[in-house]
Amino acid sequence: MKFFLKIFIFVLPLSEAYAEGQETAGLPQMDISTFPSQLFWLIITFTALYLFMWKFVIPRLSTTIEERKDKISNDINDAENLNSEASKILENYNDKMNSASLESNEIVSSSKATMNEYLDKLKKDNEIKINAMITESEKKIHQQKQQSEQEIKKATIDTIKSIVSKYVETIPSDDEISKKLN
Amino acid sequence: MAADNPIDPIHQFEISKIAEMQIAGIDISFTNSSLFMVFAIAATMTLFILGLSKRSIVPNRMQMLSELSYNFIANMLRDQVGDQGRAYFPFIFSLFMFIFFCNFIGLIPYTFTVTSHLIVTFAFAGLIFLAVTIIGFMKNGLGYLRIFYPSGIPIFLAPLIVPIEIISYLSKPISLSVRLCANMLAGHSILKIFAGFIVMLGFLGFAPLIFLVVLYALETLIAALQAYIFTILTCIYLNDALHPDH
Repeated sequence: MKFFLKIFIFVLPLSEAYAEGQETAGLPQMDISTFPSQLFWLIITFTALYLFMWKFVIPRLSTTIEERKDKISNDINDAENLNSEASKILENYNDKMNSASLESNEIVSSSKATMNEYLDKLKKDNEIKINAMITESEKKIHQQKQQSEQEIKKATIDTIKSIVSKYVETIPSDDEISKKLN
Repeated sequence: MAADNPIDPIHQFEISKIAEMQIAGIDISFTNSSLFMVFAIAATMTLFILGLSKRSIVPNRMQMLSELSYNFIANMLRDQVGDQGRAYFPFIFSLFMFIFFCNFIGLIPYTFTVTSHLIVTFAFAGLIFLAVTIIGFMKNGLGYLRIFYPSGIPIFLAPLIVPIEIISYLSKPISLSVRLCANMLAGHSILKIFAGFIVMLGFLGFAPLIFLVVLYALETLIAALQAYIFTILTCIYLNDALHPDH
């Protein structure tokens, strides 16, 4: 700024030289005769502006700004409420999901149990049947064995009888033969 | 008058009468200064009338501008003075808008800068000084005199500190008014001088032209800055009056 001031000081006499022969009253700022007019109009214009700002601008601007603030805080409140509601719903949903999965697990495990029971029962029944069949067949085999043994014995006696009858007159009785065989 | 001189940097500050008026022998003619005062308040009123014509939650550009200036000054006042400053908000707001528009309108070529006249800035500064002093005594009684003796100063320094504080208090309106006036005066003079150089140098005039463009940007900044400084200093003085202990 010093540089500018130097130029200023340098140019001032120059301009005064241009204005040679004309009245140079110095700075217009120092002309006291203009002061009352400036003060008068300053008071009028500034008072007008002050009243305009005080009565018109500031009440309207402040209500607008307040309204906006209220609206924003209301909206934020609403958003917060909705947010908490949404999180509640989410919680609910999660709870329901959990209970449903628990329930389904229960159903699965209970059905498994009933199935196992059924299978066990089936197995037991079949085992019993099989055992019964086994004992029956064993009995039959035993019977058949005894029968065949007797038949073999009879056949043996008959064979012996027929062989003996070829060589001997007196035919031994069945009892005698069986005694001898044993 | 040096009206014909193309490079007289002072010519722009001259006051010329537009309509002659007198009250009780005192000359209160409507001058170019008065005209530009009217322009400044008209510009302010236009801004706010346009800004407030359609008040909506989502503001348009003009509403944005008026709300921006409102919030700017309101925040300044709240930061500097606190809630007690609320009552003085209309004055501070009007003051800022008036000085701001006077400074800015003065930047347009062939216009007049109202705030380049010491009497105008001194009228504001004097009014602020008187108001702040009256408010200080009304709110604090004689306790307001404490501002001349800051707390924590040893008593033997009082004869030195108290006169300094009194002088600095009394010089506040002078420094406040001269700062604004001198900035406007010097800035606009320099602009005029460089504009004159362009004419004088002919073809070589592009060099001062570039400089003038840069300078004009600087002056635009200064116009806003000085309005801000004037307003914030007013807030600081007001705070001193309301809270003399700090």
